[in-house]
Amino acid sequence: MIRKLRPLVWLLLALPALAMVYQLASGATFAFKLLHPTGELALRLMVVALMVGPLITIFGRNRFLLGWLALRRNIGVAAFIYGLMHLVFYVMDMGAIGPIIDEFWLPGIWSGWLSFALMLVAASISADWAVKALGPWWQRLQYAVYGAVLIGALHWYWLDNNAGPALVHLAPLFVLWTLRAVVKRTRRARKKAKEKESLA
Amino acid sequence: MIARIRLAASLAIAGAALAVAQPALADGDVVCSSGPRENWKSINDLKKAAWLERWEIIETRIEGDCYEVYARNERGQVLEAFFHPVTLEKLVVFRRGSEVYRKRGFTG
Ligand code: HEM
Repeated sequence: MIRKLRPLVWLLLALPALAMVYQLASGATFAFKLLHPTGELALRLMVVALMVGPLITIFGRNRFLLGWLALRRNIGVAAFIYGLMHLVFYVMDMGAIGPIIDEFWLPGIWSGWLSFALMLVAASISADWAVKALGPWWQRLQYAVYGAVLIGALHWYWLDNNAGPALVHLAPLFVLWTLRAVVKRTRRARKKAKEKESLA
Repeated sequence: MIARIRLAASLAIAGAALAVAQPALADGDVVCSSGPRENWKSINDLKKAAWLERWEIIETRIEGDCYEVYARNERGQVLEAFFHPVTLEKLVVFRRGSEVYRKRGFTG
């Protein structure tokens, strides 16, 4: 099922990129204007990739969530590709290394670089052989994505002086993380109560 | 089952609460108090104002009730400037989100 779905998902994930490159090549847009859509998409896809974990803890394993889980790595890689495009368009827009270095230490800029560096950590080990080779370390290194999302949102907030859009993008994760904590706690309490019952 | 319904309900409520809270959080928007559009100067006049700053314009747009100009200055710095649509006064300028200029007394 997933095997059949995967090419379709890839196509879907690639469509915005294709549209952007086409518009750029045809002169309908320019690099500066593509910074917003690429950055936003990179962040959104990371959020989508991170949502499925807590959803499975909360609602249990069902076919829909397991399919989503199976595609998570693809979604993450797509997020990284949009992050990379974001960087390419940034460099295209800036046009030279001097101004890039000159503004590196502005909060709205170093935060972008930091978020990108964290995405790079996670994306560089996305191949199957890396998953096998790294064992438990693979999962640990993937936690870099949490940092990439949070700092990516901070990047947005600092650029925009407006917490609204960044918070809206983080909201699903905050809600799910909270619910997961609640669910875990109730389950633990219930288990304890049962154990007591069986002892008595 | 009941637990699941409860969860779904709390998700829905949390989502709705966030949707309602969102406009209140949007506090960073520049407000120009510029009145009806028919009194605004033209975008061409706006471009002239930016040109007088010796900026190279990247993009102009309307943001809320302000004119907004993205531009590069002589040092190659990218600026995001807000102009009053009627007076074409430069009100506030950001560089990658960091404020680098504000007209005296402007609080919008
Ligand atoms: C590689 C380093 C990065 C640099 C130098 C960088 C720089 C920028 C710049 C210059 C803008 C344009 C702001 C504007 O339109 O005025 C921007 C927007 C944006 N970036 Fe990045 N960025 C980087 C990495 C990232 C990453 C990894 C993410 C995702 C997590 C991200 C998310 C965003 C978002 C959502 C926007 C839209 C915000 C807006 O338009 O106000 N950026 N970035």
